[in-house]
Amino acid sequence: MTEEDAIFDASLKKKKKKKKGYDFDAALAEGDNQESALQADLDMEKKDEDDDGNVDIDLDFTKKKKKKKKPFNMEELEGALPETKDDETAENVNPEEAVVDDNLDLELDFSKTKKKKKKKKDLDELMAEVDEKQDDKENVDDNSIQWLGSDRDYTYDELLNRVFEIMRDKNPDMVAGKKQKFVMRPPQVVRIGTKKTSFANFTEICKTLHRQHKHLLDFLLAELGTSGSVDGNNQLIIKGRFQQKQIENVLRRYIKEYVTCHTCRSPDTILQKDTRLFFLQCETCGSRCSVASIKSGFQAVTSKRAAIRAKTA
Amino acid sequence: MSIQNLNTFDPFADASKGADDDVQDGLVHIRIQQRNGRKTLTTVQGLSSDYDLKKIVRACKKEFACNGTVIEHPEYGEVLQLQGDQRENICQWLTKSGLAKPDQLKVHGF
Repeated sequence: MTEEDAIFDASLKKKKKKKKGYDFDAALAEGDNQESALQADLDMEKKDEDDDGNVDIDLDFTKKKKKKKKPFNMEELEGALPETKDDETAENVNPEEAVVDDNLDLELDFSKTKKKKKKKKDLDELMAEVDEKQDDKENVDDNSIQWLGSDRDYTYDELLNRVFEIMRDKNPDMVAGKKQKFVMRPPQVVRIGTKKTSFANFTEICKTLHRQHKHLLDFLLAELGTSGSVDGNNQLIIKGRFQQKQIENVLRRYIKEYVTCHTCRSPDTILQKDTRLFFLQCETCGSRCSVASIKSGFQAVTSKRAAIRAKTA
Repeated sequence: MSIQNLNTFDPFADASKGADDDVQDGLVHIRIQQRNGRKTLTTVQGLSSDYDLKKIVRACKKEFACNGTVIEHPEYGEVLQLQGDQRENICQWLTKSGLAKPDQLKVHGF
């Protein structure tokens, strides 16, 4: 799980950074670190609460700069700090947020996993990323719910921003050009002798996809048009020569058909069997649709006919 | 003597044929199977029985420079079988000749 977390963090960081790009440019330009910018925000909120007539809204950074100098007495800072912590914990507990995190990666990119593995080793970097992510989260949230505490009117711009933020949070793939990524370990495919191929981390992949061995096994064998079985070491032995690239292709097709939701493309799904038909139930959007049954179809005779005759007779 | 108006005419006669005049209905499964060594076999299952598969296979053999045959299967009907990995070729050829639409083709295998 830790590895996955690391991957998710990496993508999160990218995503959030963009937001920071336009929202907090001005604040950052000041040279202050984010914490202080945040506290300035909070102070702003209080100010806003004080004078309700102030409909003028807060994405105006010139104002903030002025105010920033004012409220740096320690009491207020300390008052502000626990508040942010609370926000943070609330966010972490919030199940929706967690779901979003899970969703984040949907393209089946086997090549990228390798790169990220290297990254994982760097713990310092990781921690830094986590910190940054949390900071960003606070910032974004502050921005969107600035009017929540006060009873002043919200403006069109604010609402628009809020809607877009929510949309982006809930389904990151919807935003144009931003595809979801679903990162998993590449299959380890090794040739055994000349005629057989071993798929070493078959059970592991089944687990990451949350699918039964039998189902994936059926699919693989039907697609490749061969026979095979799982041996004692939990590796899949397939008859025929196959390369990792080819197995990846087939896996990709499997994930597209039987793992990701056909509606929202979230990989958080359950495969149920109902009266001979398989149904894919999505945990994120709640959609339920039937998926094609696995058929191997017509199989031509490839082995020696004499051998078959000998077997049957 | 026949009166034209009294002839029975079935207005739904060609409804079963589909909206536009394509004969192909259902998916065409194109599969690959490994033989010994690096030899492979391509099978094309699900082509409409209205087509003359023998003529198709004759054209394919010439086009792809491979051997091929039509196999009668009790469950899947007539199945085209070509030597070598002809998946790309057969997909292009079927769409080009208008026998099947690209979304009716389903390519299996690696």
